[in-house]
Parts: sequence; structure tokens; C-alpha cells
Amino acid sequence: MEGEILKGHLDMIVLAALSAGPAHGYAVIEEIRRRSGGAFDLPEGTVYPVLHRLEQAGLLTSRWVTADSGRRRRVYGVTKRGDRALAERREVWEKFSEAIGALLGGTGPCKAPA
Amino acid sequence: MQSPGVIDDYVGRLARKLDFDRSMCRRVCREVQDHLRDAAAADEPADVAAAERRAVANFGDADAVAAQFAIISLAKRSRTMSSASIVGIAAVFIAMKGRVAWYATVAETAGSNLKSIAGIVGSIDRYTFWFSVIAGIGCWLYIGSRPFPSAFDSVFRKQLDRLFLASMVMIAALMTSVFSDGVLTAVRFSDTGFSTGFLVPIFSMAIEIVCVGLLALHIRETARRTARIAALLNA
Repeated sequence: MEGEILKGHLDMIVLAALSAGPAHGYAVIEEIRRRSGGAFDLPEGTVYPVLHRLEQAGLLTSRWVTADSGRRRRVYGVTKRGDRALAERREVWEKFSEAIGALLGGTGPCKAPA
Repeated sequence: MQSPGVIDDYVGRLARKLDFDRSMCRRVCREVQDHLRDAAAADEPADVAAAERRAVANFGDADAVAAQFAIISLAKRSRTMSSASIVGIAAVFIAMKGRVAWYATVAETAGSNLKSIAGIVGSIDRYTFWFSVIAGIGCWLYIGSRPFPSAFDSVFRKQLDRLFLASMVMIAALMTSVFSDGVLTAVRFSDTGFSTGFLVPIFSMAIEIVCVGLLALHIRETARRTARIAALLNA
């Protein structure tokens, strides 16, 4: 079930993980794991299609860079459009989260009219 | 750390699934291979084979990963197809206008015997061409205004169906227009006889035919790729 919930928010999660700065796919997954305290342990293969899709949508940009080890890696960074999209999604999420929080932690069930 | 085969096998399987889009396949396989080697290196260094098996298991099923990339490839291809339509129509227009300008330069007009036929065919040419322009721009605006799909769901299928329908209408209209151009050029030939000056209209006609042919092939290839990807996703 957690996986299904996560799927709907993968774009926002990946954008948030990249908001700190450009990173390659493996580092993005590590960052998601670290920032979620290990709660978001996705099948790693689900993140790469999201990176490609967000790039196609103009929310990310990518380029090959050569690491110190000599290995070439694809590094992704958030575009200005991506920053705006993340801000919008964050706002929507905060409203949604507040509403669910109020609903779950709020008043008890309504009493039936006498 | 050289793989004893687990990672290579996995990447090879992914490559076979993604062979319908070679540039994407190369890039994805490279990234996945890098990822799996990093993951295996960060795991237990004493047992390389076990570390690689865990890296592959954590990455997920190759078929499921390939299916996600297939959707991206298809969405990209449909956008490229609509852009290619605009470029193709523009190329035909330039070739057509170039020929008309050349006729004006050499003060060439259709002979009186065939003027009525030329008039009818010219109208067909004009209307079908502008119809193809409207259909082409419509395709481009339609697919460009849709959000990038994340699933091969009924919404995306409907978008593709509409795009293919509009593309078929567009290419049929453009083919009719180019065919009409060919008839008009032949009418001029039959009236004035062949001369070396006719190499210019023949050349412009060749450009039009090549453009329409390439565009039709591109649409056909996109339709074939859609069918392949649909089969992959439904498998």
C-alpha cells in the first residue's frame, strides 16, 4: 500500500531530492532514503523513468560528467520550471496534509439526530 | 569491480526490451549499469556475486522498468511526429513557392488548352494543402498541450488515437496536394514540351515527394512502435 501511495508523489519526491543540487540517479535514491529516514525504500528502478520523464517535461536537465574515478555519469539538475513545479506541488501537499491531519486527529463521529 | 555476469545479464535483458528506441536504450543501459555497479560496490565487498544479485533485486523487475521507459519513448515519439509534420509541411510549402516563383521568373503560364483542368487541379492543390496545414498545426498544438504521461492508461491511448487520426488526415491531404502539384507540372510539360528549364520544377517536385514520403514513413514507424509498446505493456 505504501508503494502505491508513493507512486502518486514520485515526481514531487524526486524534485525535492534534487532541489539541494545536481546529482546522478544513485545519489538521488540515496538522498530520498536519507531524507525520509529510510521510510521511502522504493524499488530503485522506479526512479530512473521518473528522472527521464521529468527531463522530457522540462522540469529537469541532465548531462554526462566524468567522476573522479573516471566513470561517466548522467547528472540531473532542476530547471527553473522544475523549481516552480516543486513549489506548486509543495503548496498543494501542505494543504492536503493539513486537511487529512485535521480529519484524522479531529472531532469524533457525528451523533445521529435524536 | 568487474561483474561476474549478474549485472550484465540484467542490463542485456533491459536492452532487448528497449531495442525499439536505440538512443534511449543506450542511455538507459549505461545509467542502469552505473547504478548497479555503485550499489554492488556499496554492499558487501567480500561476496561480489551476492552483492550484485542484491543490487539487481533492489532495482526491480527489468520488464517493469522497460515498460516505464516505453511510455516515455512513445510520448517523446508522438511529440517528435507532430513537430516533424510541421517541418515537412513547411518544406513542401517552400518547394511549392520556389516553383511558382520560377514560373513567374520565366513568365511561364499554362497553355490555353488545359487551363480549365489546371484551374480545377490548382483548387484541389490549394485547399488540400491548407487543410493539411490546419491538421498539422492542430496535431502539434494538441499533443504539445497535453501533460507528459506517466502511464499507458486510457487517457494516453485516447490522445494517441486522436493524434494518429489527425496525422492520417493531414498526410492524406498533403499527398493529394503534392499529387496535384505533379499533375500541374505535367500539364505544363505537355503544353510547352520538355526543356532544360524544367529541371527546376522537377527538382522542386522531387523535394515535395521526398518530404511527404519521409513524413508518411515517420507516421507509420510511430504507429508500429505504438503497437509494439502496447504489446510490451500488456504482456
